[in-house]
Amino acid sequence: MHNWCLEVWGDYACFTRPEMKVERVSYDVITPSAARAIFESILWKPAIRWNITKIEVLNPIKWISVRRNEVGKVMPIPTAKQMTGALGAPMGIFIEDERQQRAGLFLRDVRYRIHGYFDFLSPQQRKNNRSMHPVVWADKYESNDVLRLDETEAKYAAMFERRAKKGQCFHRPYLGCREFACDFRLIKNPDKEPAKTISDTRDLGFMLYDMDFERDEREPIPLFFRAQMDKGVVNTDRRVVEVRG
Amino acid sequence: MILLALKEYYDRKAAEGLIAQDGWIKGGIDFLIELDYEGTPLNVIDLREPVGRKKIPHPFDLPNIGNQALKHSNSGKDANLLWDNSGFVFGLGDKGNIRLQSMIEAIDKWIGQTTDIGVNAVRNFLQKGLENRDHFNPVLNHSEYGELFKEGKVKVSFRVLQTDYKIIFNSPTVVNALKKMINQNAPDSVVGTCLVTGEEKVAIEATHPVTKGVWGAQTAGACIVSFNKDAFNSYAKTQSYNAPISKVVASQYGKALNALLDSSRQCIHIGDASTVFWSKKESAFESDFSFFFKEPEKDNPDAGTERIKALFDSVNTGSYMEDDGDDQFYILGLAPNAARISIRFWQVGTISEFASRIRQYFDDFTIVKSQNEPEYYSIWRILVNIATQDKSENIPPNLAGDFMRSILNGTPYPTTLMQAVLRRIRSDTEKRVKPVRAALIKAYLNRYYRFYPNKNYKEVRMELDASQTSVGYQLGRLFAALEKIQEEANPGINATIRERFYGSACAAPVTVYPNLLRLKNHHLAKIENKGRVVNFERLLGEIMGNLNGFPAHLNLHEQGLFAIGYYHQRQDFFATKNND
Repeated sequence: MHNWCLEVWGDYACFTRPEMKVERVSYDVITPSAARAIFESILWKPAIRWNITKIEVLNPIKWISVRRNEVGKVMPIPTAKQMTGALGAPMGIFIEDERQQRAGLFLRDVRYRIHGYFDFLSPQQRKNNRSMHPVVWADKYESNDVLRLDETEAKYAAMFERRAKKGQCFHRPYLGCREFACDFRLIKNPDKEPAKTISDTRDLGFMLYDMDFERDEREPIPLFFRAQMDKGVVNTDRRVVEVRG
Repeated sequence: MILLALKEYYDRKAAEGLIAQDGWIKGGIDFLIELDYEGTPLNVIDLREPVGRKKIPHPFDLPNIGNQALKHSNSGKDANLLWDNSGFVFGLGDKGNIRLQSMIEAIDKWIGQTTDIGVNAVRNFLQKGLENRDHFNPVLNHSEYGELFKEGKVKVSFRVLQTDYKIIFNSPTVVNALKKMINQNAPDSVVGTCLVTGEEKVAIEATHPVTKGVWGAQTAGACIVSFNKDAFNSYAKTQSYNAPISKVVASQYGKALNALLDSSRQCIHIGDASTVFWSKKESAFESDFSFFFKEPEKDNPDAGTERIKALFDSVNTGSYMEDDGDDQFYILGLAPNAARISIRFWQVGTISEFASRIRQYFDDFTIVKSQNEPEYYSIWRILVNIATQDKSENIPPNLAGDFMRSILNGTPYPTTLMQAVLRRIRSDTEKRVKPVRAALIKAYLNRYYRFYPNKNYKEVRMELDASQTSVGYQLGRLFAALEKIQEEANPGINATIRERFYGSACAAPVTVYPNLLRLKNHHLAKIENKGRVVNFERLLGEIMGNLNGFPAHLNLHEQGLFAIGYYHQRQDFFATKNND
């Protein structure tokens, strides 16, 4: 089990607090789940699950307040009548009618170093990660073939390292919200290249750890942990830190 | 963090007994109806107390069932327990019957069958009224207050003669019922982990109490935590289950925030942002803070000035520094957005940090000015002076919040502030560079270059600085001198060069100065006092000595320096005059 370290940075970031996610207010630092998503954007397979162990804050925490246009509606599913193809009201939404101005309190000029590792899931554990829908699979063979023989932990580790080194990603990694894209760099040897973290030591209060999809896939339960920043370092290792939910 | 800090404030105030306990809420009652045990109204007691020209209701701790006390939907089904506005109590309006029914249901639901004479008397009163509205006539036709009741707005409660309680809900039956309510979770409530305190397996609040007193928000109140559209929901969760917060914490932070917004000492309104502040422990800084930013009170204009002086002295005296300087201090700026409230800024720091930053802010703003100008400017006065027509409603939204954040962070002021003040100076033909505006430009520039040091920049001083290296500054001085010469040559002239040429002089000097300097010769020729002429020529010579020709245009910062140079030179003319 290898531990990797990524340095990520961007001009803006918003790790939205759940209680203020309408008029958005960010958490002070990146949340473990947002950090996990960055690793996943570089490499994700049904066979692996990313865990974040440590977050190092390299830039001082700065804020900016912005008003932006957002859409206040969920796309409706077509009615039975629309499905028959009958002419009538259009199915889409018109953003001009559904537009709303909302305020946001975002972070500015952020730079973090995030440490993480992945668990290699056995085929039994992986069951939930596989789609049961027949359309997804090419043929019967593929849908039954749970474990591919060429699948090993070392293979995925090598894949991740190769991809991260080259700056490859499946989708653009981002800092909390898709619109705040970020850059990243694999730190090959974090011990030889120590992080220059900020000197703040404070209690950040309870922070979202992640959503627990394992207990309930459809309506996952939020998990929280007490985030303590110690000289710019937040320990998020689930094996050590108490996670509640 | 915001909610946790508010909850801590509640805990602090609750320990002092200054905020309503769980199950209760601070509120006011205007009238008491005296009933006999059968529920017949006997008398009306006016509890209102005159304050100034208004009459304010008598403060009480009122039963707070669920969140009802804090919100009134229009359904008519959300009556409070044993108290409400007269519209509910007397079943007025189209929904009269629903409202009365709801008053009775509230009693049945929260108290149930009881032997308490008082509660039963109130129930009888309402029941009889529901059956036959004539039962209320003695009250509604009351010679003095009848009309007030019919308006439906005054808050009404009851007193039953046969009991010893001054007001019905002081009865132990009611007190016990509310106590029971807090301790047992309603069976239908959702259980989860509270994201504020981290408590597990607590009842989660579905809809949070509303916040009142944010300027510009709906008067009925608005919410910080609210999910009032489908687009805000995620993972099949509805309402505030999207952000699990326990019922107790929700009611506590709600009370704390409402109490802060209601207090004139811990709330200031700047631009479109309502700002509240509190410290972790009780502190002098907390009660003085508002004076640093508020417009001075009319009946005691010096109160604020004294506190600001104390802030300056605090380096020597140690106040705000020693005893509680390391205590946490919180500042929360709120701005409305229809039924929701958004967070404009949120600052956490120690008292001594904030004290020194605020001192810096006042330091930056000191500038030479006439006697009748206030010594320190309130934020409102500064912002109003950059807004169109000097009206507070024209203060650009967001700017107030950004400005306040810069002060508290000790960072450079927003560029939009500088642009706004220069725009105002250009468009205002009459006053142009007022002392407030000059002070603002000085503060902006000095602060900017403190953060982004530049060898060529010489800090702007409080008063005239003949050796200032900036071209803009010297051009400003030159402009003031030329204007003064014109004024003395033609006393009482209607339109001086200030009205006509200020804008182009500061934006594109090369287009106007040659012309102005030519005109100056004619003006000087008209001045009879030859000594004065020599003085002026010496001054012009001194200023011109600092210049190498006129630049084609000045950038934003140089335009600011132009304004200050102009202002300083003008102040200097007046100062010398006083000395003569």
